[in-house]
Amino acid sequence: MSLGGQMSRQVDLTLLQKLAQINWLLILLISLIAGVGFAMLYSAANGQIHPWASRQMIRFAVGLGLMLLIALIDIRAWLRHAYLIYAAALLLLMAVEVMGVVGMGARRWVDLGLFQLQPSEVMKIALVLALSRFYHGLPLEEVGRIRWLVVPIVLILIPVALVMRQPDLGTAILLLATATAIMLLAGVRLWKFAVALGAVLLAIPLAWRFMLHGYQKERVLTYLNPERDPLGAGYHIMQSKIALGSGGLFGKGFMQGTQSHLAFLPERQTDFIFTMLAEEFGLIGCLGLLSLYMLVIAYGYAIAVRSRSQFGRLLAAGVISTFFLYVFINMAMVMGLIPVVGVPLPLVSYGGTSMMSLLIGFGLILSVYVHRDLIISRRPSYAG
Amino acid sequence: MIQTDLPVKARDIEAEIGSDSGILLVGSKAQAIRIGRIRLLTVALVFAISFVVLAGRLIELTVIREPSPSLAFMSASPTKYTAGRADIVDRNGILLATNLLTASLYADARVVPDAPEAARRLVTVLPELSPSAVQERLASGRSFVWLKRNLTPSQQAAVNGLGIPGLYFRDEQRRLYPQGALDSHVLGFTDVDGNGIAGVEKYFDQEMRDRGPQGRALQLSLDVRVQHALRDELMAAMVRFRAVGAAGVVLNADTGEVLALASLPDFDPNHPTAAPALARFNRATKGVYELGSVFKVLTVAMALDSGATKLRGGYNATEPIRVARFTIRDSHAKKRWLSVPEILIYSSNIGAAKMALDVGRDGQHKYLERFGLLSQASLELPEVGMPIVPARWGEISTMTVAYGHGLAVSPVQFATAFAATVNGGVLLPATLIKRKPGARALGVQVIRAQTSNQLRRLLRAVVEKGTGRKAEAPGYLVGGKTGTAEKAGVGGYLRNALISSFVAAFPMTAPKYVLYLLLDEPQGDEETHGYATAGWTAAPLTGRVVSRIAPILGVRPVDDGGALIQRAMALPLASMQGRGQDVAVN
Repeated sequence: MSLGGQMSRQVDLTLLQKLAQINWLLILLISLIAGVGFAMLYSAANGQIHPWASRQMIRFAVGLGLMLLIALIDIRAWLRHAYLIYAAALLLLMAVEVMGVVGMGARRWVDLGLFQLQPSEVMKIALVLALSRFYHGLPLEEVGRIRWLVVPIVLILIPVALVMRQPDLGTAILLLATATAIMLLAGVRLWKFAVALGAVLLAIPLAWRFMLHGYQKERVLTYLNPERDPLGAGYHIMQSKIALGSGGLFGKGFMQGTQSHLAFLPERQTDFIFTMLAEEFGLIGCLGLLSLYMLVIAYGYAIAVRSRSQFGRLLAAGVISTFFLYVFINMAMVMGLIPVVGVPLPLVSYGGTSMMSLLIGFGLILSVYVHRDLIISRRPSYAG
Repeated sequence: MIQTDLPVKARDIEAEIGSDSGILLVGSKAQAIRIGRIRLLTVALVFAISFVVLAGRLIELTVIREPSPSLAFMSASPTKYTAGRADIVDRNGILLATNLLTASLYADARVVPDAPEAARRLVTVLPELSPSAVQERLASGRSFVWLKRNLTPSQQAAVNGLGIPGLYFRDEQRRLYPQGALDSHVLGFTDVDGNGIAGVEKYFDQEMRDRGPQGRALQLSLDVRVQHALRDELMAAMVRFRAVGAAGVVLNADTGEVLALASLPDFDPNHPTAAPALARFNRATKGVYELGSVFKVLTVAMALDSGATKLRGGYNATEPIRVARFTIRDSHAKKRWLSVPEILIYSSNIGAAKMALDVGRDGQHKYLERFGLLSQASLELPEVGMPIVPARWGEISTMTVAYGHGLAVSPVQFATAFAATVNGGVLLPATLIKRKPGARALGVQVIRAQTSNQLRRLLRAVVEKGTGRKAEAPGYLVGGKTGTAEKAGVGGYLRNALISSFVAAFPMTAPKYVLYLLLDEPQGDEETHGYATAGWTAAPLTGRVVSRIAPILGVRPVDDGGALIQRAMALPLASMQGRGQDVAVN
């Protein structure tokens, strides 16, 4: 690969060229996963397209369009506006604090007149963008210096603290873990992660006493022993495990799940939708979905690796890490490996905002792929 | 345009990093590449391991682990028809408890289109529902809300006629007790979900579930006809004597089967919560009482059986017994020597106490234990009382227990022990389950058959000549014993709160049936000259019950005065006449 070849790719692509560059296989995989979601929502409503499957389909269609649009936007635009987007997301998060709408016992939404927005979802993308931009502009030997840790830590901890206040433990964990992945890939020294881990472990007793809400403590205690309260806080986990176990190898068949159809699983269409799949399609169905997720993550990761710019690499890796964490936290929660934290199964669980933010994220990944060979200067003002 | 697709080589990264940072030293550049590669690999590895863990856990939960029992099977499910209990019938097959198939109305509030309108229309056909409550439930957005349990078929048809979407029916079985309050304390009741809560419904809860609604009915030893007569007479006596409660039990003396068992006040098991809690207290089995003089039957039985005394023996009842600060005196004092039969006939406390002393503390304890009066009775009910035994069983206790004070037992327990004194000396545990015909019950010989034979004559004499005369039911050769005990209260026994009871068997030539009837705090009236003692209250009640149940049970009346019967019931009564003052026995 010659230097001249690299230079030639600095030339902007036309729209048509960009469309040709889009990774359609990834879109097919995403659509397949969403299709599993539609089927499960259809089943959750006892064989009716309303109220869940229909709305989910509309959202997916809108999100798909948005994703393609974002994929075609020049990646340098995202780099240039990364901090702006982050600031906007932060403002929205603060707005929640001031004028948020309370729903289900938590204050997570802001009413924007036309629609309600969950700023913590926006922040998931915004934080990835901001961190990617920060490390894009930082040479590796600088990355190693402690003073360059201050900015990213501030960038991370402000939204995490705001999200914790809502309270939304699941999103806070997601933000923290995604940021950790980006910093790891950016080359932050490993001993710093060890220090951070130690600090977290030390903070746990303090958090337990001062920060965690009663319901969050209940969930942790219940995770440690679901049987201590089988009809209360442990109910979800017990029922969930029963549903998983009752599916067996091949499941009971589409729309035949007893645990979920007999309403033993409340809110089965959202966070616990995986149990429905397990019950109706058994181990085979579950492994199938798991494989689809694995393929999407492998694709996203390969795109990250393939990107020639640090920004593109970290952006794609950050988004795919978020996606991976969604999958892992949700499945591990449903299978009783970790305590119950409210994290949906990406693209499958019923819910608009996470679907939108995920598809926007995939739009960014596709954009990274389309602009994979674009060399971007360390200082964005030099680019394009 | 040159297309370089995956897989990516480290070279690309190297090229990128190199191209952009010409100022980097060669060493740090190489290190950057190395770190970049390791980091990428690490993260990829973490992802891969996580997926392996998830897949492993999935396999463990779905295939390896034993399927755990679902909560779905612990409660009734709307699609499967599993809940249900077996019927309960009496010894003749009369239905005592059954199930009524009903439909219960519920709603999926998410589907109901217009909650206020639906509520308004629903209340027009089910006017007993509150419109606001129904509307609130229909507007709740929940997938399952009960609207009304156990609808009649016509109500169900009316609701269906409304055609409101989102209203559904669920088949349910409602427990129904066609006899109402008649056997309430034996049957007990179930809750709205069909779980046994009290009585045999609770005792045989699992059994009846296992059999299911179509299964073999649980056949009790009860006879509703006898039960009806018993409850009817108990009720009448309770009202007449203004008693706070009454209890009665009729046993088959040869098998231990309970033919009737009643405790008043009682309740309608179809609506168990409608009655006050006290009405659900089973005086006949759960209540333990100091039963008074009826215990003298046992004292005489153990004295005769152990050889401590003989039928012709006697005791000096001239003076009350003074022990420590207690005085034992007779309420029907004859102030003379009394023969053993006379002690029973006149219900002499002094005689019984002295007799018990002859049996001795240990002997008395041993006999009472054999009679099953020192431990919980083994009846098929959850409501069985524990006897209250004297903490220190010394000489005083021996004397007071002899006439039924200091030891509290349940009425059914006492009736069981009494049956052993007249049936040939065999103690048969009382049972509520019908025995197979011909199957001889396994009992324990507690006194000799000969002693039992003597007691029959003694008990007949009590009714013929003694305190139990009002218990006579002509032709049925009733024998028995009165018992009047003062109830223990704060600071001692209460003079005006009595347990008046009568224990009886008939026909005394070969007793087939035993009954024990008890009135809790009866009040005397003009006809009884103000007396509330057993001879005036429980004894006549017994006579009436016997006259009613004997024909039902197929006992033929005989000529009481017949020579054969007179000889069979003969007693050496006059032997003590010369020893004391001259009060004739009539």
